[in-house]
Amino acid sequence: MKETKENSVREAWILCLILGLVMINFPFIHIFNTDQMILGIPVLILYFLIGWPASIAVIWLFVRNLEAGSADSPDEHMDNDSSR
Amino acid sequence: MPMISTSTILLISLGYFALLFLVAYYADRRRKMGKSLLANAHVYTLSLAVYCTSWTFYGSVGRAATGGLEFLPIYLGPTLIAFTWWFLLRKMVRISKQQNITSIADFLSSRYDRSAIMGAIVTLFAIFGITPYIALQLKAIAHTLDILSMPLSIHVVDLSSYSEKLPGSIDTAFFVAFILAMFGILFGARHLDSSERHEGLVVAVALESLIKLLAFLAVGIFVTYGLFDGFADVFQRFFEQFPERRHLFYLGTEQTPYTKWFTLIILSMMAVMFLPRQFHIMVTENSDEQHIKKAMWRFPAYLFLINLFVLPIALAGLLMSGGDTSQADYFVLTLPLSTGHPWLALLVFVGGISASAGMVMVSSVTISTMVLNHLVMPVILKMNVHVQDFSGILINLKRLGILGIVFLGYFYFKVIGDSYALVNIGLISFAAATQFAPAIIGGLYWKRANHKAAVAGIGAGFLLWAYTLLIPSFVRSGWLSSDILQNGLYNIGLLKPLELFGLRGFDIYTHSLFWSMLFNLAAFLTVSFFVKQSESEAVQAEKFIDVFIETKDQPSQLKRISKAPTVMEFVELMSKFIGEKQAKSAISDYLKDQEVDSRGSLSDHEIPHLKNFTERTLAGHVGAAPARIILDNYLAARGSKMEDVFDIFGTVTISHASSREQLSVLYDAAQIASKSTDFQKTLDSILELLAQQFKFDLCVIRFLEPESMTLIVKSLVGQSSERFGQSERNLNMETYIGQAFLSNVTMVVNDTEYLDKPASAKIIKREEITCFAHTPIVLEGEPVGVLSAFSKTVRGIFTQEFVALFENLAGQIGIAWRNHQQLQELLLVRDQEREMEIAKEIQRGLLPSSLPILDTISLAGLCVPAHQVGGDYYDFISRENATYDLVIADVSGHNIGSALIMAEARTFIHARIHNIKQPAEMLQELNSYFLKDLDRSELFVTMFYLQYNPENHQLIYGNAGHSNPLIWKHNKKQVERLDAEGLIFGIKNNISFEQKSTTLEVGDLLLLYTDGIIEAENNAKDFFGTERLEKLLQECDTLEPMEIIDQILSQVRIFTGMRHFIDDITLVVMKILK
Repeated sequence: MKETKENSVREAWILCLILGLVMINFPFIHIFNTDQMILGIPVLILYFLIGWPASIAVIWLFVRNLEAGSADSPDEHMDNDSSR
Repeated sequence: MPMISTSTILLISLGYFALLFLVAYYADRRRKMGKSLLANAHVYTLSLAVYCTSWTFYGSVGRAATGGLEFLPIYLGPTLIAFTWWFLLRKMVRISKQQNITSIADFLSSRYDRSAIMGAIVTLFAIFGITPYIALQLKAIAHTLDILSMPLSIHVVDLSSYSEKLPGSIDTAFFVAFILAMFGILFGARHLDSSERHEGLVVAVALESLIKLLAFLAVGIFVTYGLFDGFADVFQRFFEQFPERRHLFYLGTEQTPYTKWFTLIILSMMAVMFLPRQFHIMVTENSDEQHIKKAMWRFPAYLFLINLFVLPIALAGLLMSGGDTSQADYFVLTLPLSTGHPWLALLVFVGGISASAGMVMVSSVTISTMVLNHLVMPVILKMNVHVQDFSGILINLKRLGILGIVFLGYFYFKVIGDSYALVNIGLISFAAATQFAPAIIGGLYWKRANHKAAVAGIGAGFLLWAYTLLIPSFVRSGWLSSDILQNGLYNIGLLKPLELFGLRGFDIYTHSLFWSMLFNLAAFLTVSFFVKQSESEAVQAEKFIDVFIETKDQPSQLKRISKAPTVMEFVELMSKFIGEKQAKSAISDYLKDQEVDSRGSLSDHEIPHLKNFTERTLAGHVGAAPARIILDNYLAARGSKMEDVFDIFGTVTISHASSREQLSVLYDAAQIASKSTDFQKTLDSILELLAQQFKFDLCVIRFLEPESMTLIVKSLVGQSSERFGQSERNLNMETYIGQAFLSNVTMVVNDTEYLDKPASAKIIKREEITCFAHTPIVLEGEPVGVLSAFSKTVRGIFTQEFVALFENLAGQIGIAWRNHQQLQELLLVRDQEREMEIAKEIQRGLLPSSLPILDTISLAGLCVPAHQVGGDYYDFISRENATYDLVIADVSGHNIGSALIMAEARTFIHARIHNIKQPAEMLQELNSYFLKDLDRSELFVTMFYLQYNPENHQLIYGNAGHSNPLIWKHNKKQVERLDAEGLIFGIKNNISFEQKSTTLEVGDLLLLYTDGIIEAENNAKDFFGTERLEKLLQECDTLEPMEIIDQILSQVRIFTGMRHFIDDITLVVMKILK
């Protein structure tokens, strides 16, 4: 039981990793690779300025989840997580 | 004129180093006091930022100014890989703690069969990759120091031309190198315990990380918001001034193609995990897995913050320098200087020192550990040097190693200096670290990944990396002829390092990563598929892969070590390498968690665990591969080897109580105990079973001899000298057996090297016993004997499980003993009964078997003993003068003793009857004769003695405390009692008995009885009593004596309601016929 939950957490992490890899690589990143500027800042730069903290926030949320889970019953918590 | 004097700068730098020393020292002290600073996720996160060296602190801006966004992947990669930390990094940490991993080389070596080759390859690889990197750090410190101490004007005007005129008088790099080496030695090699964390070092690194972040943020804010009006303003002005450099903000350009972008992300992802210094800080120095959770987002956040202002600073630098990128690496420093903020520049300088120093300190310690453990140790061990104490040599070698590594970097910087290779060493070392990735990640999740595959993979990767990355960088640095680049090795076009096998159109890193990874992975995967791993390797692999799976009590260890070293010998071995103090504290920690028997020794099956522990402890100091070699050599030299435990014993000791074999031994023992009727045979068989199954040299059963309070040998199997096994044992606490018996506990000595009873020790030594145990044979909580087993060959047989079995056997022997005892008792009772039967017959023979038939009187007598024998006696003796003596007596009790006294009385009377004429006289004689005997036996006798003369119908009588006989006066129709003064026998000497006489008439009845009649009880506890007897006698007027007796008996039976009488009953009836 526990192992499958561990696994589901691991899968979620790997999914995020792959998603992250996709989002900062060609061709996805090509979307932002334009001449346009927003607020005087090149779009690509702005993309990183926003996307980077966003991904850190995602990790932070995950970790908070992990901690909340381990505070009471980790198993139960992860269950909720995956059903959501 | 310099804004800040060189002396100030030096003072501040030295001050900063002093601060670092103090912080590190403080951290070490806190740790010793048990208030570790490392027990803090912030410190862990900050220490991870050792990732940001001066190559990033200064270099990021430089790369941004020249290459645009290509600086960014170096930090994006770590942010991405952080997603995997909770399982990947945590797993590495968990394994490293379990295995006492000291470095990345050790990690790989441990995973792959503790291979010495593996460790050596990784170490060599690391030296190649890292030494130039150290050089780069030294260069950064030295160079920034020079810049800072230059006259201000030069910064603005002509920085590049000035750089050639830098003063060479003070070799700052040398001093910096020296200070950093000292730091590494002091805080990284104080003791020889790399597995223990270097708290001081880590805390210092964390502080440095904080300083460099603050410094960089300060410059960033100053530039972006001080010199410019925010981000937008910087970009605005840059675009206005350098519209042709817009490409800096785009990807897919010639400068930063998407492939390179991707490559850099991959490289940085791997580097942040597998650079030796990163591994060291992240894994080896990790004090708590929970810190990983915090670090997972804090470390990326740190990277984000330190990069936030890279682009503005780079752009500002370009704006200020008129687009000159030659000194772009030092924009961070020159911007505050040139705008007249020397103190800010000083802060940056300190930040730069931090970035460099952190990297140099950690790397030098890490690499020196690796060199010591994976290059030096194997050689030392191979040479088989015989030194008493290695620990001193080893620690000094490690210190020397640190010094060596730092100065290798220094000479690299001095001799080779500024070059392409040096500037790009950051990425080159990243690419090197990436080569470890398949072996590590594969090793963590793939069981088949094996030693040969990992060596092949890393080896191939290493070669390709060197060929496609290192050689080109050497060529570009001018150390090699460019011939190889243009024409390929041996002029083979397909072997051009930058266009290997004709692969064109990629940047150097992508090209190198592709080829090195292709070969690395291919070799790793193919060999893993086709080569079967050894058993020991598979075990090790499982330890890595299944590190999170709770291991069940490890029933797998079915090995034991023949001629196993003792605990002390293991300690001695460890002391040799890690010092006595460390070894002792390690072993005491270990023993705390072990089942140590009361003797403080370890059982046989725990010795392999101890061996593993010793190996792990040594691994924590010298690395896995050397530790393995040390242990193997040591055991080989002793002639010890791991072997499968002798069959049944192994499983009995290792498995739980329900082990089949254990049960079968007990079952066999129970069978023996129940089947055999011969107790001795039972004992012998059980001992034989014990000795055979467990290969004991001697097994003994002793039982307590209660009278002498000694333990007497009842059974013995095995050889023993006469004095030892066969001798009886006194009961005292001086001996183990005595203690086992007296305190009713099992005494186990698993190793006779450690004995605390001198009395026993002497004998044990003489007999060459190696281990033994005594367990009390207990019956209903009371020890009755001791079961002992001795071995002369092995130590540590008596594990907890085995002792349980042993005690169980003793229990069985106890039951057998009880059965035996009961049987004996039964037999005894049977014998006694037979004897009583004989006694009964004899006693019956003592009573008159038939009474004479006379014409004057009619007689009848009956004695009904309550048991086989009784104390009642009656007799009828005719004298010569035709008088008749009548005796009735009652000896108290109804046992053999009573019977004997009764017989004695009879003998006396019969012997003396001719000499003693009168009843009173007879009683008197009897009394004095019996006095002594009765007094001794605590018995007493009552007797009524009568003498009847048919001639004159006179009856004379005396009484010794007996119940009064009754006389039925036929004529008067009344009952009279006969009484005379007299005490019972056995009370007093010389008492006189009254003698009375009476005359009987024809038809009179004389009834003599013992108190069994009148004291016969009914249910209401009423006695039958004399009155009832008298009344009964009245009714018997016409009956014959025998009929009267029957009548009385039946009446008494009716009265009591029982057929059986509780007391002996004797009745004598005499009827006067004429």
